[in-house]
Amino acid sequence: MKVGLFVTCLVDMMRPSVGFSAIDLLRQAGCEVVVPENQTCCGQPGFNSGDRESGRTLAKRFVELFEECDYVVAPSGSCTGMIRIHYQDLFPENPSLQQRINQLAERTFELTDFLVNVLHIDQVNSDFKGNVTYHDSCSGLRELHIKEQPRQLLKSITGLTLKEMEQAELCCGFGGTFSVKLGDIATRMSDNKCRYAQQSGAEVIVGGDLGCLLNIEGRLRRMGDSTTQVKHVAEILTYKAK
Amino acid sequence: MELTSFTFKKNVKKKLSDARLQNNMRRFGGRFVEARAKVMQEVDNLEDIRVAAAAIRDRSLAHLDTYLTLFEEQARQRGTIVHFAETAHDVNRIVIEIAKANQVKKIVKSKSMVSEESGLNDAVINAGIEAIETDLGEYILQLAKEPPSHIIAPAIHKSVEEVAELFAEHHHTPKSTDIPALCREAREQLRPHFLSADMGISGGNFLIAETGSVAIVTNEGNGRMVTTMPKIHVAITGIEKVLGTVNDFSTILRLLTRSATGQSITNYVSVMTGVKDAANADGPEQSHVILVDSGRSRLLGSRLQQALRCIRCGACMNHCPVYQNIGGHAYGWVYPGPIGAVLTPSYVGLKEALDLPQASTLCGACQVVCPVKIPLPELMRVLREDSFADGLRPWHERLSVHLWRFTANHPKLYGFLTRYVVKLLKLMGGKSGQIHWLPGLDGWTEGRDMPAPTGSTFRDQYKAQRHER
Amino acid sequence: MSARDNIFARIRRGLGLPTHPEPAEREQALKVLQEKPRGPRPSQVWQDPVQRFIERCAQLSTTTETVSDILAIPMAVASYLNQHHLTREMVIWPGLAHLNWQQAGLSVRVGSAKNEDLVGVTGAFCAIAETATLMMPSGSETPSTVSLLPETHIALLDKSRIVNYMEDAWDLYLSEHKTLPRAVNFISGPSRTADIEQTIIIGAHGPYRVHVIIY
Repeated sequence: MKVGLFVTCLVDMMRPSVGFSAIDLLRQAGCEVVVPENQTCCGQPGFNSGDRESGRTLAKRFVELFEECDYVVAPSGSCTGMIRIHYQDLFPENPSLQQRINQLAERTFELTDFLVNVLHIDQVNSDFKGNVTYHDSCSGLRELHIKEQPRQLLKSITGLTLKEMEQAELCCGFGGTFSVKLGDIATRMSDNKCRYAQQSGAEVIVGGDLGCLLNIEGRLRRMGDSTTQVKHVAEILTYKAK
Repeated sequence: MELTSFTFKKNVKKKLSDARLQNNMRRFGGRFVEARAKVMQEVDNLEDIRVAAAAIRDRSLAHLDTYLTLFEEQARQRGTIVHFAETAHDVNRIVIEIAKANQVKKIVKSKSMVSEESGLNDAVINAGIEAIETDLGEYILQLAKEPPSHIIAPAIHKSVEEVAELFAEHHHTPKSTDIPALCREAREQLRPHFLSADMGISGGNFLIAETGSVAIVTNEGNGRMVTTMPKIHVAITGIEKVLGTVNDFSTILRLLTRSATGQSITNYVSVMTGVKDAANADGPEQSHVILVDSGRSRLLGSRLQQALRCIRCGACMNHCPVYQNIGGHAYGWVYPGPIGAVLTPSYVGLKEALDLPQASTLCGACQVVCPVKIPLPELMRVLREDSFADGLRPWHERLSVHLWRFTANHPKLYGFLTRYVVKLLKLMGGKSGQIHWLPGLDGWTEGRDMPAPTGSTFRDQYKAQRHER
Repeated sequence: MSARDNIFARIRRGLGLPTHPEPAEREQALKVLQEKPRGPRPSQVWQDPVQRFIERCAQLSTTTETVSDILAIPMAVASYLNQHHLTREMVIWPGLAHLNWQQAGLSVRVGSAKNEDLVGVTGAFCAIAETATLMMPSGSETPSTVSLLPETHIALLDKSRIVNYMEDAWDLYLSEHKTLPRAVNFISGPSRTADIEQTIIIGAHGPYRVHVIIY
């Protein structure tokens, strides 16, 4: 099975280790992983800022790069949501291109969703020990119904205890460009999220979307919390004791 | 209502630093959310009902003129006078005309958000007629001279302490913060007005076309008072509020009250048809319905048409993490929260409310709870597209979108730029690995650090790894 | 052009319809209404609507009691008023005048309620089990002020007239009457408000107490 990894621009720039963890997870599950070199961004930042053209341009690039894959996997619910949901009506004037995009979108999955629901993985190879709490990122949760998938995988790790926070489904305030345009509201929202996460008693806040994680970590550090760790779920699922 | 949506960002700053408001909003927090979640458990086929409710609203909109015509015919047959108002201003004019023609001196009002659109109270009072809000929340706000901050709980931003101060000042009674006592005080203050007013004004949650009826949904009983006791009743509502049948109404009602306050049904649901006749012991002798357009017809056939399904339950704002933090006043007009972020720019003009469609992370919490399945995030995105296309967004925002699109579409350029950007960011992060200030992204770094990247991109690391092998 | 004409023209333009509707269009639009389609009701069913009604009343702060016979009502009313230390003077619907109130030691006035009335006694057209709701059409025999102005509202309900859903209530009404009355008030418990700090307070502008006597 040939699986294309859509790294996403945030992972590419901000936390490459998430991409490598995703590769490990897919390889461990027996997938042949390809990483098309010319991939960049799914177009969501521009698309959500009102530039439909951003979506169109990058949807076209996406289909050209990944069409030959059996599946495409991204370590992000938000980018996957962009592809699976919002790529669907970008080319009303070009039905054949739209059809190609839609067919590929159907084969595009968020990482944990792919591991659980396509590959039927129920065990991962991780030495992680400790208490974690899981933040449900909005697009993954509400557009793709990702809720149990990451939890199922996390719970399969022997040394890991999942401590649910209150309001796990509450938005952290990231919202892409929202976090810059309306930074003061975003800060207040991340404040609330951080408080709930801290109250859970977990040492690590885990999530499936890097944008949210950077937002949460940034607020924690600004508030002076330098101990609570913030990790992508892929990093926990592939954690190796040193 | 005075429009301040164009200063949204400034409003937000003020609201976020208003300690009393923040305190009140925290208390408001999850109560409606919890109540709704609990009551929905008794509806085991919620999704079926939502689909049906959305279809009922869509059917009304698809045949809007036919349904309105039928409503008009049926209502007239029962002696109701039907008026049409093209603008908010026309609403005020029509009300004042009816009042003047009948020598009305005192009006009692139950809650009507449409009348807030036109600032009806001020207009009526300026015309020399007394107008008294009778919904407890609206009454409090009338004393405080403030607009509502929520469509079903208008005084949600006020604490009991503030209410106690207002009542003591206006009723000349000793100050009490006992909530039941305050409610009784309001009842005693308002009862004489119900009995002496010559006109009652209400909103209309719905119109029912087949019977020519106006339906209102209330808890306090003030709605029944203003539509029963005075000799004239005027209902004001939007043209989009028409439903086909009493059965359509029953379906929608099943979701409205549960979505709004988390009640299976409100204490009172009144379906009013025509005037008091020989067959009646009580009720108004004159019945008027004012059907308001004021921007609504413009949405028909547009990409925003689904917003007209709205049944004004308020669930979208109750569940909106942005609303929960800034309250309703920051939105600067009658309708706050996600539905307000769509309706305000649509009704008053996008230029006047440019930041409202941006005031959302598009988290989708609103869409999930909307009883009539309005795709609110999608509609906010449509408005973002309109403002981008019309060049209404700031130049630097447009420029960065264009630059990013161009860069992302040229992988070599993208690879080159990102390589150096992450190096620079790593440097800026220093020893702590946290960037405290980023030019151009100070909206972020004002309140949060930016965790610094590790110094090289995934694509470079991946390439190097493959090379080694 | 009148405001109405302008609005209708904009509606039809927005919907992409020709300026003037053909009769067929109206006919088709109204056909659905004549079929009066019913939307989905909650599918959880209760065996006995009376039992369901009583259970749901408790959640709304409506009190209930059941009497064996319509003739037992005046005594039941008297003992309810006694128990709550309420006045024995009351206003009642004209249709209830035939009951023997005097024997129960109650003094009644027949007709619409006045501001001074503290207790109002009404019948009910029917009741809805889903939400424990009384359906109260207005009329000369059923003045709506009696369930509104007094602080205590006592409603007498025939147990054979408790239907499951609001749709059933409409059907029942329209099977017995040609058109809707001036007002149909659906009443579900005493008036309330939560406008101060979302604290639910029973008793706003309408009654503080609703007591349903089922016979």
